[in-house]
Amino acid sequence: MRSLSMMLLLFSGAALAEAPQPAMPGMEHAHHAHAMRSWTDLPLLKTKAGGESRERVIVVPQNIVADAVDAYSNKLADENGRRRLPLDMAGAKLDKPASGGFHWLAAREEQGDEVRVASAVYYFGERGAENPTDMFITQKHELEIVPQPYPREHSRYRANEDWKFLVRFQGHPVVGQMVALETQNGTKSVWVSDAQGVVTVHLPDDFNAETDGKEIGGSRGMGMRGSDFVLAARRADGGKTYLTAFNAAYGKNAFDQRSIVMGLGFTLLGMLGAVPLLRQRRKKNDMPEQPEQTEQKEEA
Amino acid sequence: MLKKIFPTLGRFRFTVQIVMLFVTVYGGALLGSYTVDRISQALPSLSCAFDKTTGDHCILIVSQHQLHHRIGEALVKAQEITLKVFVPTLISVATFFAFFFFLNKAFCGWVCPMGTVQELLYRIGRRLGRPLNRFSPDNVERVRPVKWLMLLVLALGLPLMAGMGFAANELGDPYCQVCPSRLATTLLTADTEQIAVRTGKNINFFLGALGNAMFGFVVIAALAARQPFCRICPLLSWNAMFQRLSPMRLVKQQHDKCEKCGVCEKACPMDIHEIGREHGKKAFHEDCTLCGRCAEYCPDDDVIQIKFFGIKLFGSSREYYKQRVKQESPEGMPKNRVIWLKQAK
Repeated sequence: MRSLSMMLLLFSGAALAEAPQPAMPGMEHAHHAHAMRSWTDLPLLKTKAGGESRERVIVVPQNIVADAVDAYSNKLADENGRRRLPLDMAGAKLDKPASGGFHWLAAREEQGDEVRVASAVYYFGERGAENPTDMFITQKHELEIVPQPYPREHSRYRANEDWKFLVRFQGHPVVGQMVALETQNGTKSVWVSDAQGVVTVHLPDDFNAETDGKEIGGSRGMGMRGSDFVLAARRADGGKTYLTAFNAAYGKNAFDQRSIVMGLGFTLLGMLGAVPLLRQRRKKNDMPEQPEQTEQKEEA
Repeated sequence: MLKKIFPTLGRFRFTVQIVMLFVTVYGGALLGSYTVDRISQALPSLSCAFDKTTGDHCILIVSQHQLHHRIGEALVKAQEITLKVFVPTLISVATFFAFFFFLNKAFCGWVCPMGTVQELLYRIGRRLGRPLNRFSPDNVERVRPVKWLMLLVLALGLPLMAGMGFAANELGDPYCQVCPSRLATTLLTADTEQIAVRTGKNINFFLGALGNAMFGFVVIAALAARQPFCRICPLLSWNAMFQRLSPMRLVKQQHDKCEKCGVCEKACPMDIHEIGREHGKKAFHEDCTLCGRCAEYCPDDDVIQIKFFGIKLFGSSREYYKQRVKQESPEGMPKNRVIWLKQAK
């Protein structure tokens, strides 16, 4: 982990890019989303359930001026494999395709020599959904932060855990790329990708009484409380600057509101309950029968 | 060649069990995080979804979630009880059945990781010279209804009630909270999270404490009793509902010697006394896990067979029996400390 000053240096450009910009023709709605207050200056894609339906989710871009959200499903060859979702006042509506499963969401903004991308993943529970590896591997933008892997069903990002992300530029892994982490709870840190372009990020255990967390994950979260984090990388190439962010929710650490001491205690209690079975005296009919005896019995 | 590697059905089954233990416990880590949890997500074995590296999920977690989140909610809204609501559950059951059709309850006896763990513990118990505690015909009758109670209350009833709002939301997956496979499989991946009891809410705490105590009991009991948890497992009763619909069967013919013999009863890890006394449909009992031990230890030719679509896959034989009892008693007591190495020669 590098110092906070390095991070400020790295993302000073991002802060500058957040200066108020005039709305582009036809982008009033998108600009409305852009104006929403956020806990970070980095581009984000927030998802929320579309009312009571489990078949729709609303995607709301923050800190980015975009007129649409691109949605890639885990069945790329399907008619719903790549969809461009128009933005309105509420956000972009992502309807669950028949194939369900993982969706890669991205919003892109290009202003002069600055390209900014916000990305996130959403999962629609569906039996037999396609393997999403192709969707993750497929190049979607110039600079990308790709989860390696993304938490599968019944799993989630959690505090105090290490997770891997691949940093790619034009489809190729980037070695030594600085990646900034910001959490909604206020933690900021910088990580560096290794020789394979993979950055291992330790999600901080930064929940406290004030940042107790909100409900995360919709049907996947099952009432789990958590917060949000965003990873971002910046790279200059060919006279352009690319800023890419990937955001997701993370829950409290695995042992929050759990007691391993009590768990072991109850396990031990159960074990003690079974000890009489071990100590029971061997009765005659408990003795394993010798094959010869069995044979004789059978012959009789 | 195959006969040298697998000289007995027991050896073959044990090999399958070990392979399936790795698939169900570590399959996700070996074959890719996203790939293998797509195998069925409705496996007729206690393959735990809480295990982060599992290769597949058990049907019970899926059915609990669907009863909780979909059917229960829809029933209470009384407006959308349509195919759209029931289809996911029907698909789960259909997927489960697609697997179950071919192996029937062999999923319990050959695939289930919890069954394998208990069998391994029992083998250790034999090596340690622990006594064998068996259920008498009367006692086993008292235990048998518990598996149905577990299924109806914990795996089906409470999740549905929670979905309808008649029970606390924490009762959405009560069976998973007490399932010993959740603890066994996660501990096998060195994950200690699940053994830590939840302390946030009373219901979670109670279920967690109960689950841990049951897990502890099963671990020790398995050293001195065969398959202690399988007898009350809701998946045993779930699978029993479908066992007559699969072409994989245990078939037993009537034979004069059966009344006096009883070796197959001793070999049965589920203490199914009916296998010695009955024949025909009654011999393929609801508690049968198709482990095949009764067929291995039946000393008469083709009296007990495992058949698929009427084709014999394995049948009892006198010669096989003679060889088998030289290696291991019907109760599972090994006759040689190095059985495996000796057989490989």
